[in-house]
Amino acid sequence: MAKWTRLQLAAALMLGLVGPAAADQITTDTDRATVPVMTALGMRELPALPQKIVVLDIAAADTLAALEVPIAGLPSRLYVDYLNKQQAEAAPMGTLFEPDFEAIAGLAPDLIVAGGRSSRQVEALSEIAPTIDMTIWGASHVDLALSRLRSYGALMERSATAAALEAAFLAKLEAARAAVDGRGRALIVMTNGPKVTTYGAQSRFGWLHGALNLPEAVIEQPEATSGDEAQTAKAAEAATHGEAISFEYIAQANPDWLIVIDRASAIGQDNQAAAATLDNALVTGTEAWKKGQIIYLDSAAIYIAGGGIQSMTATLEQIRAGFAVGG
Amino acid sequence: MADATGSAIGPGRSARGAICLCLLLLVLLAGLSCAIGVNQTSPLALLQDPKAAQLLLISRIPRTLAVILTGATMAVAGVIMQLLVRNRFVEPGTTGTNEAAMLGLLGATLLAPALPIFAKMLCAAVAALLGTLVFLALARRIPPQQPLLVPLVGLVYGGILAAAAGFIAFQADLLQYLAIWMSGEFSGVLSGRYELLWLAGVLAGLAYLVADQFTIAGLGEMASRGLGLRYGQVLGFGVVVVSLVSALVIVTVGVLPFVGLVVPNLVSRIMGDNLRDSLPLVAATGAGLLLVCDMLGRLLRAPYEIPAGTVFGLFGAALFLVMLLRRPAHG
Repeated sequence: MAKWTRLQLAAALMLGLVGPAAADQITTDTDRATVPVMTALGMRELPALPQKIVVLDIAAADTLAALEVPIAGLPSRLYVDYLNKQQAEAAPMGTLFEPDFEAIAGLAPDLIVAGGRSSRQVEALSEIAPTIDMTIWGASHVDLALSRLRSYGALMERSATAAALEAAFLAKLEAARAAVDGRGRALIVMTNGPKVTTYGAQSRFGWLHGALNLPEAVIEQPEATSGDEAQTAKAAEAATHGEAISFEYIAQANPDWLIVIDRASAIGQDNQAAAATLDNALVTGTEAWKKGQIIYLDSAAIYIAGGGIQSMTATLEQIRAGFAVGG
Repeated sequence: MADATGSAIGPGRSARGAICLCLLLLVLLAGLSCAIGVNQTSPLALLQDPKAAQLLLISRIPRTLAVILTGATMAVAGVIMQLLVRNRFVEPGTTGTNEAAMLGLLGATLLAPALPIFAKMLCAAVAALLGTLVFLALARRIPPQQPLLVPLVGLVYGGILAAAAGFIAFQADLLQYLAIWMSGEFSGVLSGRYELLWLAGVLAGLAYLVADQFTIAGLGEMASRGLGLRYGQVLGFGVVVVSLVSALVIVTVGVLPFVGLVVPNLVSRIMGDNLRDSLPLVAATGAGLLLVCDMLGRLLRAPYEIPAGTVFGLFGAALFLVMLLRRPAHG
């Protein structure tokens, strides 16, 4: 977490320092204009309109698909239904964690987009073709995701489409905010077979709390120890896989809304449904269960493609619809 | 049981004292475990408030029982395995038993995903049985003057099975599913979701009934046959107990490393190897240590949890190293 914050800070600094200078020295060895792209590793100047793109980040694939950019190579399994068309048209490039370097080199791409699960491969991939790390992470999740959208738009000369997508997203965000306003506190949990983890405001799904002004359901302890310290300790910290909790935690936090992500269904199994895991006397006693205020998010969208513009828009719509129906 | 067979082969006086002390400690720990949780009301309020009583019945008592059953049966499975292989360094985790159970579970998930949990457990148990038998066949070929080879062969064998499980899971996109079973923890335990462990408890109880025969089997095949033991039957029963216990524990709570390795060694240091004396102590110590680890896991990052398997792995590894480096008390 700290590492990423530092990286982002460094990137912001680079933007300030290098930005104006880079703008002056336009295109040295090619005729094509270069476009400044903000990556997780700092500012990069990239030739506009790369023809062959290999995408090794599902959020990036999501956003590029929304921009209708043709993708030459994708990981062989994406687990995201709405990207099936892109998946079918692109050549398989191994997996996110272990890209098939030979296949990628054989394709001779103009640009490789990595990030998130494939971010560790950026250095190795850079030896094949220009590679950008477009990881979306941290507290400024929504801002970062929109900045990625704008970057792809500029790079692919589809800024108008990008702006339209952004406007649609912001409208959805506004609608969801209105639906959520004053409706109580929510707890985000992920079920994993028989086990449950929770995701606080600082976690990878925490942007839902931040962007929607959705109050977090945390445990109210009878004897408040030391104000602020206790408060921060209560909120789940930023962790990739959340904090393991017992069902007693859910009972005690007693959220008005339970937002559920089923990890097993995100990775293609539904034999241990989230509802079955949660259906026990401790959870059924919560306000959320009693009022039927449980929202099951499309796990593939938020868990696998989280940060993609389609994923985020769809998730917001699910939240809005869920809050509109709830008692 | 012990009294019925007479004091000559029943636990000695000192053993009985130790067992009583251990049981007392265990009861104390269990009480403590029932008092620890996210809901921090006083024990008195727990008894008065009907909602809190419900919490006790649904969550805390089942969880405490699950930990006790797991710790006790894993430790018993470990000690039986050690006697049958005549090696101090084996447990279901170093003989491929756990990995074979995983393979069975994986196979059941892939080939018949709709099977109920009990049937899947059976598949895991059968696979564990086969895996353990193969290990025994391997272990017999190792010369007895090379005791360290046995666990090494077991680790390599287990590694091969784990690699096979990993490969299949990778191909079928079940790696994350596999990971769920690999981490042994009790956060998901509720009334109605752990009862299979009672079966493991019954098996461990059955093992106690034939404790003397296991003790004799621990002398080796030649010696125990000479003493009139039906060695093959005892061996077979032992393998069944170990495999079933491992499979039951894996399916209900996951893999718990070191419990079956550290606890029997610890107890044998103090009590020696007469199972009729030491088996209750092994079970109680296993249950107690695992309870402490589960409680630590609940307290260290409260209100969040650390898997009991992780905590035990840490302490177990340290304890085992200490035992390895210090001279043994017996033999």
